[in-house]
Amino acid sequence: MALERKIQLAAYGLFIAALFLAPAFGDEFWLNRIAKYLVYGMLGVAIALTWGYAGILNLGQGLFFGMGAYMLAMSLKLSSPTSLAQGSDTPVPDFMLWNAEPGAPTDLCCINKGSVLWLPFQHQWFGLAMGIVLPVVIAGVLGAIIFRKRISGVFVSIITLALVLLVRLVLVDAQPITNGFNGLTDLGWLTIGGIEFDPYSRATYYLCAASLSLTLIAARLLADTRASLILQAIRDDQLRARYLGFDVPVYQTFFFVVSAAIAGYAGMLYVVVTEFASPTFMDLSFSVTMVVWAAVGGRSSLLGACIGAILINMIEAQVSETEALVEAWKAIIGLIFVLVVLFMPRGLGGLAHSLVARFQRDEQPSVSATAGAARSETA
Amino acid sequence: MFDVIFIGLSLSSILLLVALGLAITYGAMGVINMAHGEMVMIGAYVAVLSSIWLGANFLLAIPIAFVVTALLGLLIERLVVRRLYGRLLDTLLATWGISILIQQAVRLEFGLTFFGIHIDGLGPGLQNVTVPAYLQGTVSVAGLEFNGYRAFIIGVTLALTALTWLILYRTSAGVQVRAIIRNPKMAAACGIDVKRVNALTFAFGSGLAGVAGVMMSGFKTVFPDMGATMVVDGFMVVVTGGVGSIFGTILSSGLLGEINALVAIGTNDIIARAVVFAVVIGVILFRPNGLFSYKGR
Repeated sequence: MALERKIQLAAYGLFIAALFLAPAFGDEFWLNRIAKYLVYGMLGVAIALTWGYAGILNLGQGLFFGMGAYMLAMSLKLSSPTSLAQGSDTPVPDFMLWNAEPGAPTDLCCINKGSVLWLPFQHQWFGLAMGIVLPVVIAGVLGAIIFRKRISGVFVSIITLALVLLVRLVLVDAQPITNGFNGLTDLGWLTIGGIEFDPYSRATYYLCAASLSLTLIAARLLADTRASLILQAIRDDQLRARYLGFDVPVYQTFFFVVSAAIAGYAGMLYVVVTEFASPTFMDLSFSVTMVVWAAVGGRSSLLGACIGAILINMIEAQVSETEALVEAWKAIIGLIFVLVVLFMPRGLGGLAHSLVARFQRDEQPSVSATAGAARSETA
Repeated sequence: MFDVIFIGLSLSSILLLVALGLAITYGAMGVINMAHGEMVMIGAYVAVLSSIWLGANFLLAIPIAFVVTALLGLLIERLVVRRLYGRLLDTLLATWGISILIQQAVRLEFGLTFFGIHIDGLGPGLQNVTVPAYLQGTVSVAGLEFNGYRAFIIGVTLALTALTWLILYRTSAGVQVRAIIRNPKMAAACGIDVKRVNALTFAFGSGLAGVAGVMMSGFKTVFPDMGATMVVDGFMVVVTGGVGSIFGTILSSGLLGEINALVAIGTNDIIARAVVFAVVIGVILFRPNGLFSYKGR
């Protein structure tokens, strides 16, 4: 067990070191792309936390990602040059002007019904805070209702799936204040403490790398707590955990909220890196794609899910260079997914664990090997 | 007002055709088939292809679509789903992968595009099917005007639902399926060949989806991604109605279809869909077993 622990630590250390060494090997354009994949990696961690540890398959993780993205994007939209140069006291997003009724005042307070909602976003800190607060509050309320009602398994997946589609429809329909299908584009840069996060700068890359590292470490520490053990017990047998006196919904809701917070944070980073927010973040296919990443990387391995997300996207980018292969790649992803679910349900992470366990058994055929195998279920 | 209810009824019919297959497979086998929407899509493409290549009429496409999608369903069950019984969420994920595969197969014309071969009616573009003249126009009954094609859809749905009911409740195969819905292990212990019945059930459910696809092709454009929303809608109907209850599925498809039509008249299509989602979420939250469910034994 000690050996496995060391290998695990080494894997985390190596991965984080690689994150920070990457800028030595590529130009700004390449780094921007990698930064985007690191954000996907955070989503992998969020999925693994709820799916692997809590057994909750959230098919609407895109909801929290999208919320984080839109909250920050609203602030950044107001700070962009196009919004500032409308000759009014408050910045006004360009799309509101295009759609304004004749005679409407050029001011954020009353250019259309609902534009008032944008007012507090003039302060960038408000957008930043809401990017975490909103997903956390929504996830908290949703989780509390779902888990108190003892809804589990596939029904949670259906509710989250329906909810993300519902919000997406409303978002698209509220065209005057959200710019509908087009989403929020042409954003300003995030500025914190005098540092401007130009998407094509090393600063932005390091922001993403540091965020991912911290998320991984925090999630790993969280997974080592007693609460996480109880959560895994709930996943394996909910009734038994309840009879043992644990307040099951509290643990489930807590991990659900943490996962939502990670997704919201990832959404904000995504906006910083790519300079847009769009309703496609709340497409069903995007939420399921996140699950694919986690499944391939290993649903019950935080690092595995993270690497799975990054790896799949890097390969996809490579393949997509050849135009003819773009569609074929999607088919390959579908095939990989079927094969992984059928033959490798624990993904790459599970594979690594089995290898370590086998190695261990050869070294010392004793009790610790079985203990290691038992532990390899989660990590 | 009456036409709104009529339009709602035709929406309900499509929902029911899609959901019926899902209800049987989910209820009997505990399998969430995300590729079910692709069966609808394949059915629609059968209508497209048969009109281009066979010059066949629209009605003939219905049995062809049933056979094609049923065989495809059988193949999927044999190759993938069979290995996943008892792992509900995994069936959802694996069949999602299959649905992507099928979509891409149609888009890439089964890989023939790589060899520069193009088949009319396949590929990434949009396709259309013309409904024969005798199904267009309006029918008037008792002084009320009905859109002919919508009436046709409702008729086909009624016929297929009746057929499904007959099979389930009046044949020995149906008794076996219902036994499996109640308790698969007990059914196996009583000598029912669960694997075989499951495979046939899956094929039948897929076939129904194929017929739904032919119906869809008559009033919607046909394209490779069209199934994705269908499976979500169908699944909502099943969950709202209550898992394993055919009767519940029929009623909930009626309910959701009418809500959709009524709200759409007052506001717009997008809000109508949103309201339907909200209703479904509400139902799951307050009646997790659906509106009409019966307990397994």
